[in-house]
Amino acid sequence: MKNSLLLTLILALSLCVGAQEEKPSTGQHLAKLPAVDIQTIDGKIFNTQDIQNDGKPVIVSLWATWCKPCIAELLAIADEYEDWVEETGVKLYAVSIDDAKTSARVAPFVQGRGWDYEVLLDVNSDFKRAMNVNDVPYMCILNGKGEIVWQHTSYAPGSEQEVYEIIKGLAAEKK
Amino acid sequence: MNKVLRFTATLLLLVLTLGAAHAQHEFGNSRISGDFGFNGMYYIPDSLIGAEKVDSKVRANAFLNLLYSNGGFSAGMRYEFYMFPLLDFEKIDYKGQGIKYFFADYKNKFIQVTAGTFYEQFGNGIALRAYEDRQLGIDNSLLGARVKVTPYKGIVLKGVWGIERLNFEEMVGRKDQVRGLDGEIILGELIPSMQEKGFMANIGASFVSKYEPSDNDVYVTLHPDVDSLSATGMIPSSNVPQNVALWATRLSFGYKGFRLDGEFAQKMNDPNTTNGYIYKNGNALFLSATYSMKGLGIAASFIRADNMEFRSQRLAFKESRLMINNIPAINRQYSYQLIGNYSYASQANGQIGAQLQVNYQIPKKSKVGGKYGTDITFNYSRFHNIDKQPVAEAVEYGTMSGTDGYTSSFFKFGPELLYQDIGIEISRRFTKHWKLILAYNYISYNIAQLQGHPGFMRGHLVAADLQCKINNKHALRLEAQHLYTKDDKGSWAYAMLEYSISPHWFISVGDQWNYGHEDPTMRLHYYNMAAAYVWKTTRIALNFGKTQEGILCIGGVCRAVPASYGVGLSITTSF
Repeated sequence: MKNSLLLTLILALSLCVGAQEEKPSTGQHLAKLPAVDIQTIDGKIFNTQDIQNDGKPVIVSLWATWCKPCIAELLAIADEYEDWVEETGVKLYAVSIDDAKTSARVAPFVQGRGWDYEVLLDVNSDFKRAMNVNDVPYMCILNGKGEIVWQHTSYAPGSEQEVYEIIKGLAAEKK
Repeated sequence: MNKVLRFTATLLLLVLTLGAAHAQHEFGNSRISGDFGFNGMYYIPDSLIGAEKVDSKVRANAFLNLLYSNGGFSAGMRYEFYMFPLLDFEKIDYKGQGIKYFFADYKNKFIQVTAGTFYEQFGNGIALRAYEDRQLGIDNSLLGARVKVTPYKGIVLKGVWGIERLNFEEMVGRKDQVRGLDGEIILGELIPSMQEKGFMANIGASFVSKYEPSDNDVYVTLHPDVDSLSATGMIPSSNVPQNVALWATRLSFGYKGFRLDGEFAQKMNDPNTTNGYIYKNGNALFLSATYSMKGLGIAASFIRADNMEFRSQRLAFKESRLMINNIPAINRQYSYQLIGNYSYASQANGQIGAQLQVNYQIPKKSKVGGKYGTDITFNYSRFHNIDKQPVAEAVEYGTMSGTDGYTSSFFKFGPELLYQDIGIEISRRFTKHWKLILAYNYISYNIAQLQGHPGFMRGHLVAADLQCKINNKHALRLEAQHLYTKDDKGSWAYAMLEYSISPHWFISVGDQWNYGHEDPTMRLHYYNMAAAYVWKTTRIALNFGKTQEGILCIGGVCRAVPASYGVGLSITTSF
């Protein structure tokens, strides 16, 4: 039984890989966000492929209300966010991986700190898994085409400068 | 052969074939990604802290995830190698190796079909929550099939059928299975005008049923809830329910910054090891109300759970194994080192409690708030056991086992305080360089009820976290904590200094000192040194030090952690 399952899997995966090898060389293209249904803060379904910003750069942060470095990172960006938006038109999506235990507290938490981010809820870590993220904080930057151009885990004070440089570059590229 | 597995295998093959055919046409969008994790340790015995000599000194947990996706089609698997797992994983029997997670999934706007292993949650998870927490060693995934249909925008229907994973145990011979249905209506999407007026409302309902054959008579054993003399006996197999049903309904309502959430669930008779084989129905109520506006957030919640442990097998009782649902622990979760061992664990079989949290920001650029504003968080939570009055039959027999157990007055708090927390946290940035977080908590923690050995801890925790950003690359962080208590192991002090060079390096040294232990020879130091290097999504960390025996809790779910001493190496990466 188990063997037949495994065999099926291997067979199918090899089919997939085979399919991929036939791919004509279109030049290297960057990965985009996977399409996963998560929730908005007011309980609506949101497909992560709809994370976009009219051709301007996007920052996606995976965080949780119980994760100290995540909050430190989002706080550090919050201090400069107004300036960033003005300069580059960037939009930050803060995707919380809080589960049912704390997800109701995400909205008051964000509002209480006066954050201007787009907040989304990934209550059973489906998006986290699809992104192959092991630990939070995780952050990635999308260019105007929605391609992932930079990603990073952990947070060290000051690394928001690197984020700023990249989105500045992307915004300049656009112009 | 098992029906669930046969069905799964067929569906898996079908989805994979369709996916492969699809992939032939859609060359451009295929993507392979993955992640890898390794967590190893070299153990050194230390008799004082209770770190025993172990047979294999070198142990490691490792896994590799692979994901393939192409448009609406995706497939993936995880290989896990836990043959010589870290001691705390060995303790919970998370030991073995193999591919226990594999799936194929096809999705379009109308339907999503998953065959293989999957994670799923209905509502708040009170009815069903198949999830993983790698740090805790929990993987309650289901092996089977899942279908999700969106017949109309704003309506979502889900159906699941599967066998629940238990560590590395063989699935083939298993006879127990889980079936579930869930429906949700998102009124804001159905009626767009509602949304324009600032209203939101969702309603949902779930039905979950567990099947487990009852081939054997159940020999009733004594249960801690029963103060009986001779609680031995037998429940004939014909009286053990093979199917146990659970249903739940939920509602969310919001208007502008105000939001109300509620879910009520009821479980039919489910005599099992954790409830001492009683036939009483279980129920749970979860309520949450929040209000938020810029600079202010208020969240209040209430939970009551009575006889709601719901597992795939009636003999399962340890940790979270084979747990089908998850009753959320609504207390505030802390990352303070010194109270880690006094974290509340959700009591699905009996808890009633409430929690209030207020977040307030003294505005930026104000006199009191300073240039950057000051954040204040206040928190209060209190949990009790529930009121239990044994039924007449139980009194007569001297045991609740085999009877309806007890009756419980719904809103009455039980006599036993399980956990209480009063806390305040103030966070303020003074200049571009300096930032300070100060916190105070008064914690009451019922060791006897929550950890099963005698004791009750009441303690005051004071914590400070001072950060100095030297320049754009270098930063220093000092964490200091003090726990004052006369109970359990007495008072503790903790200090940790972390130096980071953005974005790659982290170095830290810390010490946790049990200076207030009754026994002077047990006033031990638990020191720790760590260094980590981060490059993009790869993190390599090395640490050396001691860990005290205790519990590790994440999200109200806890497991035991043995004392340990040694050198650890951890590597995680994704690609």
